[in-house]
Amino acid sequence: MRPADYPPPFDLDEFVAAPGEPEIEVGVLVVGAGPAGLACAVRLGQLLEEAPELAERLGEVPVAVLEKGKQAGSHLLSGAVVNPRSLRRLFKDRVRTDEMPFLGRVEHESVYFLTPKRALRIPAPPTMRNSGNYVASLSQLGRWLADQAEEAGAVILPETTGHKLLLGDGRVRGVQTGDKGRGRNGEELPNFVLGDEVHAKVTVLAEGTQGHLTGIALERFALQGDNPQVWALGVKEVWKVAKPLDSVIHTMGWPLRAGAKYREFGGSFIYPMGEDMITIGMVVGLDYRDVELSVHDVLQELKTHPLVRKLLEGGERVAWGAKTIPEGGFLALPRRLHAPGLLIAGDGAGLVNVPALKGIHYAVESGRLAAEAAFAALQRGEAPGRRGALAGYDEALEQSFVWSDLKQVRNMRPAFGRGFWLGGAMAGAMTASRGNFPPGHASLEHDADQELFRTDRAKSYPVSDGKLTFDKLSSVFLSGNQTRDDARNHLRVRDRVPPEIAELWARMCPAQVYEVGDDAGDGDVHVEVTPSNCVQCGAITAKGGRLTPPEGGSGPEYKLT
Amino acid sequence: MKTLVFLEHHEGKLQKDALGVLGKAVSLGGEVEAVLLGEGVEGLATEAGKHGASRVYVADDVLLAAPLPQPRVDALESLVNDGGHDTVLFAATVLSADIAAGLAARLDAGLNWDLTDLVEADGRLVGKRPALGDSVYVDVGWTSEPRLALIRSGTFEATETGGTAEVEKIEPRLQDFSLAARMVEQAHEESEGPSIEDADMIVAGGRGLGGPENFALVEELAKALGGAVAATRAVVDAGWYPYAAQVGQTGKTVSPKLYVAVGISGAIQHKVGMQSSGLIVAINKDPNAPIFEYADLGVVGDLHEIVPQLTELVRARKAA
Repeated sequence: MRPADYPPPFDLDEFVAAPGEPEIEVGVLVVGAGPAGLACAVRLGQLLEEAPELAERLGEVPVAVLEKGKQAGSHLLSGAVVNPRSLRRLFKDRVRTDEMPFLGRVEHESVYFLTPKRALRIPAPPTMRNSGNYVASLSQLGRWLADQAEEAGAVILPETTGHKLLLGDGRVRGVQTGDKGRGRNGEELPNFVLGDEVHAKVTVLAEGTQGHLTGIALERFALQGDNPQVWALGVKEVWKVAKPLDSVIHTMGWPLRAGAKYREFGGSFIYPMGEDMITIGMVVGLDYRDVELSVHDVLQELKTHPLVRKLLEGGERVAWGAKTIPEGGFLALPRRLHAPGLLIAGDGAGLVNVPALKGIHYAVESGRLAAEAAFAALQRGEAPGRRGALAGYDEALEQSFVWSDLKQVRNMRPAFGRGFWLGGAMAGAMTASRGNFPPGHASLEHDADQELFRTDRAKSYPVSDGKLTFDKLSSVFLSGNQTRDDARNHLRVRDRVPPEIAELWARMCPAQVYEVGDDAGDGDVHVEVTPSNCVQCGAITAKGGRLTPPEGGSGPEYKLT
Repeated sequence: MKTLVFLEHHEGKLQKDALGVLGKAVSLGGEVEAVLLGEGVEGLATEAGKHGASRVYVADDVLLAAPLPQPRVDALESLVNDGGHDTVLFAATVLSADIAAGLAARLDAGLNWDLTDLVEADGRLVGKRPALGDSVYVDVGWTSEPRLALIRSGTFEATETGGTAEVEKIEPRLQDFSLAARMVEQAHEESEGPSIEDADMIVAGGRGLGGPENFALVEELAKALGGAVAATRAVVDAGWYPYAAQVGQTGKTVSPKLYVAVGISGAIQHKVGMQSSGLIVAINKDPNAPIFEYADLGVVGDLHEIVPQLTELVRARKAA
């Protein structure tokens, strides 16, 4: 049984429209106020400052950024250890590194292999070394970048989703934003407001993981590469602690199982956030196969390990969140990252280095390069909608360190499909050979194509004690999610599925959105969906459903993640 | 400190929350006055006096009969300007939130909203506002006078102190633009018994009831107690009970004297809507349900057996 056999009721055409009369016309429209989109907006501001006649030509709003969260940062979540390289390049002498909102430089680091009771310190693989990098809260970094973008002249439109791609004459003409005030089944409530057509000369999709319009664009313009994208799900918490942690910690092994058949690729990260906070998270590849696996509960289990328990002792959990990570790397990159009138940057393009556990500096770099390509085309007076007018973006990205980094580690992720030990050995050989061994390209399979089975995995999940371990509902509460209950259901899943599929979703979802419902006959069950719990992590899209944009302003309210 | 408390009323009765806010203002000290706007409302001034107002301004005007915000903004604007109040307090409702926002704009004043407490610290008024889903409290203040505040519903309990208020009639001048809106229709949702915000006793049902038909158990007990029926999000979502009865993070916040939770697990999303209830009684078959962590009295058992018997006992006691 595979989740892919139960595809969601989803029609691409619902999210594509022909442009009509614009409500708003902008120069460059960026979708998503994350590191990629905001870096793009900052760079455009810098360039337009030097080119006032072009800025004039672009009209009243040369650069606009759509953001679905309440504000920039509301939906941002990462580890995060940040390589400052791209931010330095973006700001040059305008902002010093010590003025960026980092929570401390990485001084020490350690990697452990865990067994249920023990922690064996192992040497850090070269890809995972972090000296010179900084710990940050991506949510905080996003808010800071938004301030920089606004200072550079960009207009940020929060609580606004990119709902439909506006396509005319074979090119992207802008975006239709999402409606507000619809009821559970799409009906118009008294406070209903229709979305707006925002027209732009260039549209930059920087939507992050599982980008909605990115998915539509990749399919519409046939941009997908040879391999499908694969994802991991990360769930993390932030703790206020009594004693400071002085080192960046990664763990492998327990509570994940090493056997090849389980396909449980992942591990944990534990980072100090200044003197009095620690962040701890668990990341697991969504190609896993056990119906009972729950990343949220595996994280709870991890916290009961003596090594981790000791760090959190006397502390208090102050934040929680979840997000998917595109893990396909180089193999899963789209054929092109541009189309007429369109550029794609950051996580949405899949620019993540899995062995290094990094993507933020690639997001920033790609956002900056997207800005330069858009600016160059507009500067030349060229219609950016012309075929190839934005090709300079792909060329620049292929010349950049983003490309060479990703190429070097391209076969690492698929190797771990063979289990921890063989995968680990192969990863070592790949690193030593700088990506040349084994020769050629490995391949990837859709996460939803994995055959499922069931073990009694869930028996080992700890019962929530409200102090060290927590259930999903209290975690959703802590995420600041206050989505109204009668908001339109933005999650597309089959209503009737075999019980294993329903349970897979129920266990997988860290926010308790799905529950196994009543018997639906023929051995199937109904799937109960509580969309207002959703923190928009995107796992459902990887595993047989489809996340579409919820109402703007809904979802979590991340501040420290 | 000279405080003005806006008293909202419906169907000839003062709103309990507004009286609670009045009581709080009195406890903070200084001169405390109240204002009543409407048609035929003078009689309500006596009750305001019993709750501690030293003076009640009353505007009796047919133009104030409908619960529309703009004419009230006009009335309050001139009252505050003439009376020199440094603080204006509202118990938050749909109407008062509109009025407070309008008044803040007119007076160019600061408005703090969703407050759950007011204290005096170092001679300054400080409001407490819950944030991050009620997990932390933010101290908020004002940089200028008058200071406007909306107090979250169900925050302060009304208590009589037995005073009398001086009644002063006012005749507010209403702006033409304030009369542009008119009330077309007012409709009430049909419900028996008191509304959950006003009820002293609430019996609430959750998914543990097993099905919508079992809400009858909850309704019977509520009727016997003379209380109101509430519901959790899960059962409202499932269509077992109307949204108006939903208690919790995305529903109503209540603080009755007695809250009986029947078949409710008590997730934090529910807790934040009822945690300030006087006595919390939980009936649930799962001894590990989170509600037992904050219930004053917990009964582990089958609600289908316990609730009908409890209803019988209450009836018998009331009859005796």
